[in-house]
Formats: sequence, C-alpha cells, structure tokens
Amino acid sequence: MSAHARIEESRVDALAASAIVANSVEPVLRAENLTKQYGLATVLSEVSLDVLPGEIQAIIGENGAGKSTLMRILSGYVEPTEGAIWMEGRQLSFLRPSEAQEAGIALVHQEILLADALTVMENLFLGRTLGRWGLADDRRMRRLAAEKLAEIGCAVSPSAIVGAIPLADKQLVQIARALLDEHKVVIFDEPTAVLTGEEVRRLQEVILGLKSRGIAVLYISHRLDEVQQLADKVTVLRDGKLIGSYPGRTLSQMDMARLMVGRELAALYPEKASKPSGEPVLSVRNAHVPGYVEDVSFTLRKGEILGFAGMIGAGRTELFEGLIGLRPARASVQLDGKPIHFQSPRAALDAGISYLTEDRKGKGLLLQERLAPNLTLSALARIHPGLYLRRSREAAAIKEAVAKYDIRVKSYSARAGELSGGNQQKLLLAKVMMTNPSVVIIDEPTRGIDIANKAQIYAFIRALVTEGRACIVISSDMQELIGVCDRILVMREGRIRGEASGDKMTEHEIAFLATSEVVGPIGAGDLM
Amino acid sequence: MLKRNLFAAIAVGSMLTVGGHAIAADKKVIAVSIPAADHGWTSGVVYHAQAAAKEINAAFPGVEVIVKTSPSAAAQVSALEDLTASRKIDALVILPYSSEELTTPVKTVKESGAFITVVDRGLNDPTIQDLYVAGDNIAVGKTTAKFLVDKLGGKGDLVVLRGIPTVIDDERIKGFQDGIKGSGLKILDIQYAHWNSDEAFKLMQDYLAKYPHIDAVWANDDDMLLGVLEAVKQAKRTDIKFALGGNGMKDIVKKVIDGDKMTPIETPYPPAMIKTAIWMTAAHLIGNAPARGTVKLDAPLITKANANEYYFPNSPF
Amino acid sequence: MTLLADLSPVRRIREFNLTWSDVGPFLALVALLVIGFAINPEFLSTTNLANVITRSAFTAIIGVGATFVISSGGLDLSVGSMAAFITGVMIMFMNRLAPDLVGWAIPAGMAMAVLVGLFCGLGNGLIVTVGRIEPFIATLGTMGIFRALITYLSDGGSIPIDRSLRDLYRPVYFGTVAGMPIPILISLVVAAAGAFLLYKTKYGRECSAVGANEDVARYSGISVVRTRTVAYVIQGVCVAIAAICYVPRLGAATPTTGLLWELQVITAVVIGGTALRGGKGHIWGTIAGAVILELIANLMVISDLVSEYLVAAVQGTIIIIAMLIQRFSK
Repeated sequence: MSAHARIEESRVDALAASAIVANSVEPVLRAENLTKQYGLATVLSEVSLDVLPGEIQAIIGENGAGKSTLMRILSGYVEPTEGAIWMEGRQLSFLRPSEAQEAGIALVHQEILLADALTVMENLFLGRTLGRWGLADDRRMRRLAAEKLAEIGCAVSPSAIVGAIPLADKQLVQIARALLDEHKVVIFDEPTAVLTGEEVRRLQEVILGLKSRGIAVLYISHRLDEVQQLADKVTVLRDGKLIGSYPGRTLSQMDMARLMVGRELAALYPEKASKPSGEPVLSVRNAHVPGYVEDVSFTLRKGEILGFAGMIGAGRTELFEGLIGLRPARASVQLDGKPIHFQSPRAALDAGISYLTEDRKGKGLLLQERLAPNLTLSALARIHPGLYLRRSREAAAIKEAVAKYDIRVKSYSARAGELSGGNQQKLLLAKVMMTNPSVVIIDEPTRGIDIANKAQIYAFIRALVTEGRACIVISSDMQELIGVCDRILVMREGRIRGEASGDKMTEHEIAFLATSEVVGPIGAGDLM
Repeated sequence: MLKRNLFAAIAVGSMLTVGGHAIAADKKVIAVSIPAADHGWTSGVVYHAQAAAKEINAAFPGVEVIVKTSPSAAAQVSALEDLTASRKIDALVILPYSSEELTTPVKTVKESGAFITVVDRGLNDPTIQDLYVAGDNIAVGKTTAKFLVDKLGGKGDLVVLRGIPTVIDDERIKGFQDGIKGSGLKILDIQYAHWNSDEAFKLMQDYLAKYPHIDAVWANDDDMLLGVLEAVKQAKRTDIKFALGGNGMKDIVKKVIDGDKMTPIETPYPPAMIKTAIWMTAAHLIGNAPARGTVKLDAPLITKANANEYYFPNSPF
Repeated sequence: MTLLADLSPVRRIREFNLTWSDVGPFLALVALLVIGFAINPEFLSTTNLANVITRSAFTAIIGVGATFVISSGGLDLSVGSMAAFITGVMIMFMNRLAPDLVGWAIPAGMAMAVLVGLFCGLGNGLIVTVGRIEPFIATLGTMGIFRALITYLSDGGSIPIDRSLRDLYRPVYFGTVAGMPIPILISLVVAAAGAFLLYKTKYGRECSAVGANEDVARYSGISVVRTRTVAYVIQGVCVAIAAICYVPRLGAATPTTGLLWELQVITAVVIGGTALRGGKGHIWGTIAGAVILELIANLMVISDLVSEYLVAAVQGTIIIIAMLIQRFSK
C-alpha cells in the first residue's frame, strides 16, 4: 500500500510514513485498485483497502474525496471502472446492491430512506416481508423488530408510524434495518450527522457490539472526535486517492485534518471577541411555543455570538421558529428597545431578524433552481424595487456572494442542488445575509460539512458580529458551540436550564445542563 | 352501497310505521323518473314531464304525479328505491339512463304491483313494461336521408356528424345509411362530435378544410347542427345546399317555420314523448282506457306546413 | 482563509441554458406540422391553420392561468365549468343591458365577466389556501357548483345572446386584425402578459418558489397563502378572458359549454413542460401545448388514417409519446 499524496509539510510526511503496511490477519473484505471514472473525471483512483474481521475502520476525507463513491462501490450501488473486490478470498463483482447484501455487506445510508406513512416494523421488513402461506406474518415480524430495536437501544414501538417519530429515531430504525440480517461487513455513512449526545453514545455501543461479534465496520464521519474514540484503523482519502491507513488512536484530530486537507491547517475556530459585548439588541421574555417551549427568556447583545445547546427535541429550533412567526407562539420581544411581535417571517425579516434553517435541503434552498434566484429569494423587494426583476442586479449580487463567501461553483448557472453540502451551506448563509439583518439566527451551521468548510463558516460567523451584528448559533455539536460562541444557553424539555460561559463553557457542564445527569465522556478505556 | 341499502332499510322501516297515511289518502300515485337536464334534449324531457305533472295534478284530484330527476344511472337506481320505499306507487313512468343498470330495479317496482311505462330507451327485459313509448331513431335517419336523396336529385357528396357511441346514435346512422342506399349520394366522412355544439363547430371546420366540395351536411342532433351552421357561415361556402339536424329543437323548428334555405326541414324525436307517456299512463289508471303495448312515435318530416305543431317556444329545448 | 484548493474559473454569468422542457414542445409542434403536411397538404393551408390555432385560443388563454396555478403547486379542475358559468352570467347581463345600452352592453358584459372570473378564482384560492383543502378536492367541488349553476341558469337548455348584440359581437371570434384572427391576438397578449408576470416580476419568482418547495418559500419570508391565492385569481381572470372570446363563437351558453376543458388545459400545461407537482412554469410551452392538442385533433379528421372509433386512442397515444420523449431526453 502506498501513499500518493504530495504533501508539503514535514509533519504530514512523517504521518504518512506511519501508515500500516501489512496485515497479519486474513481480511474479510479486500478492495484492490478500485478506480471510478465518470467520463473524463476520475473520482476514485486505484484505491486499495483491507478490512479485518471485528475491526472498526474509519474512512475520512473532505467532501469530494471519494469516500461515498468508495462505499457505493463496496455496497454494489456503483460499478467500478477498474479494480476488484475480494470477500474471504473469493473475488466478487456486484452488479446491484442486493448482491452485495447477499455476500454479507450492508450499507447504512446517510440520508433517511424510510417510508414515512408506514410503521417502523413495515419499514424494517420492506421488500423482505416474512410470510406464511402467502400471508404477511405480522406477529413474527413485530417480535423480530422489537428485538432488533432493543438491541440497538431504540425505544420506539414497532407499530409507530415512521413519519411521527423524531429524526434521531428514524436514523436508528434505518440502522436496525441494515442490521436485520447477519452481515460480515457493515458500512455506516455518516450515521451521527443527525444524532445528539445520548444517541451518538448508543450508536457507538451498537458499533462496539458488532465488533465484539467479529463483524467488520466501515465508518464514515466528519466528526473527528468520534473517529478518534472509535476507530481501530483510520483510512484517509483525498481527491479520490488513498493517502494511507493508520492505526487508530495514534492520530490527533489535528493530524487527521492535516492528512485530509493535505497541508497545515489554521485553527478550526476563529479567535473570540476581545472586547465585551455591547448593548442588548434582542430581548425575549416569557416565550411560549405551544407543545415545545415554555417560559423562555434571554437577551442577545450586540457583537455577541450566543449559543443554544440541548438535545434534539429540547425545543431550540421551535423557539426561534416561533419567535419569527413560522409557528404559533407568544412572547414579549424587544428589538433595539422597541417592543415587536412578528405575525409572519416576512415581518421578522423586514425588522432585521434572519433565520438560517437546520434543514438546508428541505427548507433552505430550492435545489432545482439556479444560484441567483436562491440567493435573492428572501430579499426580492430589497434587490428589485419597483415592478420587475433586474437580471443585472441579480448577477452582481451572486457574483459578490460567491466571492465573499468563497462558494465553489462550476458556473453561475449551476443549480443549487449541484453544489456540495459545504457550498450549499455557504450559499444559504449568503442568502440569509441578503436581507442585511441585525440579528442572525443560525441553526446547525455545519451539519454534514467537511472540516475546511466548517472553518470558513465559523470565520464568517465571527465576521458577522465584528461588523456589529448579533448572532445566535443553535447546534448539537458541543465542541462547535464551545469553539464559536461567547456564551451558551442550554435548553432541556422546552426550558432554559442554565448558562455556560467563561470557564464553565465545557462539554461536561453543557451535557450536565442538557440532560441533568452527568454523562461520562466516552474515553478509550471504555472501548477496550 | 352499504350505506344506500341501510338508508333504504330505514326508509322501509318508516314506511311500515306510517304506512296508513298513503292508503288513507287514496290517491293514485304516478312516479316519473327521468334523467336530470344536462343537455338540450333532456332539459326538454324535464320541461315536458313537469308540464304533464302540473296539468294532471290540476285536472284530476285523484291522481298525484311525482317527477324525480337523477343525474346518473346509479342515482336513478337510488331514486327508484327511495320512491318505492316511502310510499306505494301505482304506476312508474321511467326514461332509463341505461338499459342494463335499470332493468332489475324496475322489475322490483313491477313486482310491487305498479303499472310500468318505459320511455325511449328500452329495458333489457321487455316483459317488464306494460307500456312502451318511444320515438323512432331509425326513422329519424331514414326520413332525413330520403329528403336529401329527393332534393339532391339522387347525387351528391355528404358529410355526417354523429353523437356519442350509443344505440340511439347507431340506429340513426343506420337509418340514414339505409335511406341513401341505392342512390348516388356518397358519405365522404363520418366522425363523432358527442352531441356537443363546440365539437361540431370544430369538426365542421375540419370537414370544410378537407373537402373542397360538399353538397349537404347531416348532424344527427340539433345541438350539433348549431355548431355546423356557425362553421359554414364563417367559411362562406356556397357549395353546401343543406345542413340538417334532428330532434326537434325549438330554434331549428323556428328556422323551418321561417323558411330557412339551408335547413328547410326537421325530423322530430320530441322530448314531448314523456308527456305522451305520462298522459297515457294516467288514462290507464283513472280513465280505464287500456293502454298496454308499444307506442312508437313516428318521425315525420317537419316542413314549413306542419312546423307549428312541433314548436314549443317556452320549452328550453 | 487559505485552506482550500484553487478556485476553478467561473464561467460567464449569462448563459444560454436551454433544456428539453424549454424547447421540446416547440420541436413537437414543428414535427407535427411536418407530419401533417406529408399526410395532407391541405393541413398547412392558411384557412386550416388559422381555424385550428383560433380554436386553441380558449385552451391557451385558460392554460396561461393554469400555468400559474400549477407552477405554484396547485391545481384547478373547475376551469371548464367556470368558463360556462361566466359565459352564462355575461350573456344574461348583456341581454339585460342591451335594450338601453345597445353596443355598450358588450364592454359592460366583458367587464362583468372579468369581475365574475376574479371572484370565482378568489373563491377557489381561499378555499385551497385559507381553508387548507387539497386543490384537487376543492376545485372538484367548485367544478360541480359552477356546472350546476349554469345548468340552473339555463334551465338545462341554452342562454342565447340577444339578437341585437350578435352581429356586433361576432368579430371578436371571427374577425381579424391585419389578417390575424382576433382570438389568436388575444391569446398572444395574454401569454405575453403572463410571461412577463411569471418571469420578470417578483410575484412570478415567488410563485415558482412556492411550487418548487413550500417550506423554502415560507422560510424565505414569502406568504404561501397570498401567493397561491393570487395564482387562482389570475386563473379566474384568464377563464373570463377565454369566455369573452367564446361567447361570439356560438352565441350561447349551455350546460355542455366548456365540458372537459379542464383536462384539455392541464394536458396543454403539462405537454408545455410545466411539472404537475409545481415549480418552474412554461407559459409559451403551454401555448404550444394547446396548439398541439388542437392540431392532433384536426389531423385526425383531415387524414383518413384512423377509424372514427379510434381517434381518441390515437390522441392519447400521441400525448403519451410526447411526454415519454420529454422524460427520456433529459
């Protein structure tokens, strides 16, 4: 195995040299020189990989590094242009996913691919209904479903309708579906992107359980802390090429980031404000969002980044959706000292409060539309005073946004859906800023985004407040909040449970406030 | 379906409890079940049925005529169930939506002892009816054809517009084809226009574009003839000598009365046949005038001479 | 930020980016004309083409409105019976005014028609948006209501226009300006206005945003209720304009006026390239779609290819083939 990278930094060179060269155990899955070309573009180039039984192997790399293509080849969704796949010494070629499944490889998708209208049980057995005499054997399926869900620590009932259960549980159901049959290799494609503390921990237990049964796990994640905790082996891809495979827990997060990016990284988080925050901009008293939020009060100051932490379902998103008129709510709100009440998102936007949704594909961007219409959608009246649209103004606006927010696009006429996740997020940020808000609320600023784009987005957020705006960041990633925010409010069950600021801004403190119980950090000691 | 049966059951139940009423009143009840007015001809049927009901109810205190219109075959079946469930009827005059669906329900009414008069569309089982009143669709076609053969000197090119694929349509076309058989008249083209003026207008435009010479047009219904006339007028074609229809629409009969050149005649298939049927049924019930059998209303040529007899200016049709 | 690889050069901003759904309908139109000419040269005669395109005006004009409704993620099944209802009300109104106003009754009637159309559309829109009823069901309901109203107003027969107005009004359908039939001119004007509204104004942008993704629109501060309601009002006005052109054709409103127009219109919109699930609307495509539908029907009669019994099957097949071509040439 060789490292192809052209690495400038000596530290990275040294890292690359430490790559694993040979295995003593016979691999369960071996990929040899996998190459995938689409027309002239090579997205994966001669990647080789050994997966040992009972091994947790993390695959890391920036967006576009070829991780997903590799996983899709291994699970039979994509055919390689060249190269071979061996399982337990037998060469295989998968033409479709079902063949990979039969060979013992399961893929847990990143996107939730479940039928919302069906029950959990029906989803688990979709396409492989257990039957007796041509009838569906519901009883047996329900029993098996309950067993499997219990095994991975998912508390939902098999007869719950999938559309009605929380996102995190959907992810767990999807995992249960992949684990329903016994597999030799299970591939997880960013399973924790939508999960929070407790659920992440449960998933990690599931993965360790698989390991203990001798099942190999391939694990793709952007959360380098998880990779560090969990992986026995870390394989790094960059620009479609294999950089190397390294023993787990020997690389620091910074090392991994360096290998992924291929050069020395600046700090992930920008420096915090040196001067104290200014006068209050937004003050909220006694906010109620029926069913989600009770009696929440807080104050946001000028030049401040205020974090909102909490578990999924704590009511953070709903609180702000309520405040800007996206859902029914009551609260006494003052903006710059003047009392306001928003009946509609339009009124909030006009008053200078802008909200960036956590669901960029579902609620943020029109994926079929081009960049400029997306950028200007919430600021049409501002950009186009008068009756009709002015193309030249739109062209200028998108040009400016692309430059300012470093949005990587092939052409200005590309559609938003063609951008990578990180660039979509930057476009969405640019869109939110089009209304020139004085208060920016950002919900999950970097979900599913690679590390380089994350660093950029954090810098943009910091730049917003140094310009004199105020910003609220909602995130399930505690490190992110600690790294970016000046002060963090923690919500649990619809109420604010406390504030973490200054020295108290630690994961431990936030987790304590978010769950009211101390969650021990998952250390290396637990894993072995 | 279940709901309807349930409803019928409730209705029957209530009949049993209040049954005394209907008998005590000792009126002879004639129920009239006809399609709702959804185009020209059926609106004529509704008009004439209501006129007959009004006249009979006023003239004979011992008789009650109830008119019930239904917008579809299924609705007509329900209407029959409702009519018979709530009271005893002595006679039923029905213009069935379709022969197939109504046969059994009408048979049920017959078994309750009512006198059955069927109008226009026959039932599948002719033994059910006591009296059958109908126009003659074959004659509608044939009379028109004979007129054209005569006036065009046995020679000429025709185009034909037909309605909706049904027995009525087929019979009229068959009558027409029989009528021109043996003559030198030739049908250049025949297409469906669904008894609709707009479609007939378009179709006639297309005929005019396709055929540089047309001697006469026959639309087998007057609604369509209106569209045909408009298209001919727009094209300003002088080769077309006759544009004829059928059914006895008042506007067309008026043309005949006024001596229109292009439409000098009309063949009736009068919606007033419902009126004939209701009166005959009433005559049977109260006048002791035997009225069993089949009455086929002729389709005589309406010309300027006799047109007034077929002209009902107040009818919507 | 110096984290990332070099930025690939950005291409010039104004690009000519035609997709199949933009040009497909027009190619289909041309293909149909060529086939038609091959079958019967009479097909391309000015009279025939003028007739066919004039006829397609109703579908085209209503289709412009339907493009807004469908683009915004709605559907309107009531347009056919609404057209009949508006025609009926308009004729009755004009007939009442005719003795006093004579010729002025016609513009008054037109104004009345637009007003009625506006309110019918507003009704549909409010039921769908404020009432939160599925557009399919809501407009299926009003479709029945309008149809019943025209049947009631006409006693199931017909409402003919007053003889004194007949000849005055007739040119609106049968007349020409510089050789161009007036209904064609009207549909071009309506389409141009529609295209301006949909492509060049803020409302148009909001309309397709709401249809493409309601949530994104809502989160972007666009009022979904207002946008959709306005689309239905535009639809109502378009139906009224179509009714204004329709009245002089046969000079009467009957319970069968506008029967099945809704399907005709929806088909034209979809053939024109607008997705039934909403999103980007194709106004000129809709116009092409309307003409295509009438051309197919015309071709069936002009040619002697198929038996009269199979005409509908051939029409259906051609429409499905047209859609399949669009589907697979992306």
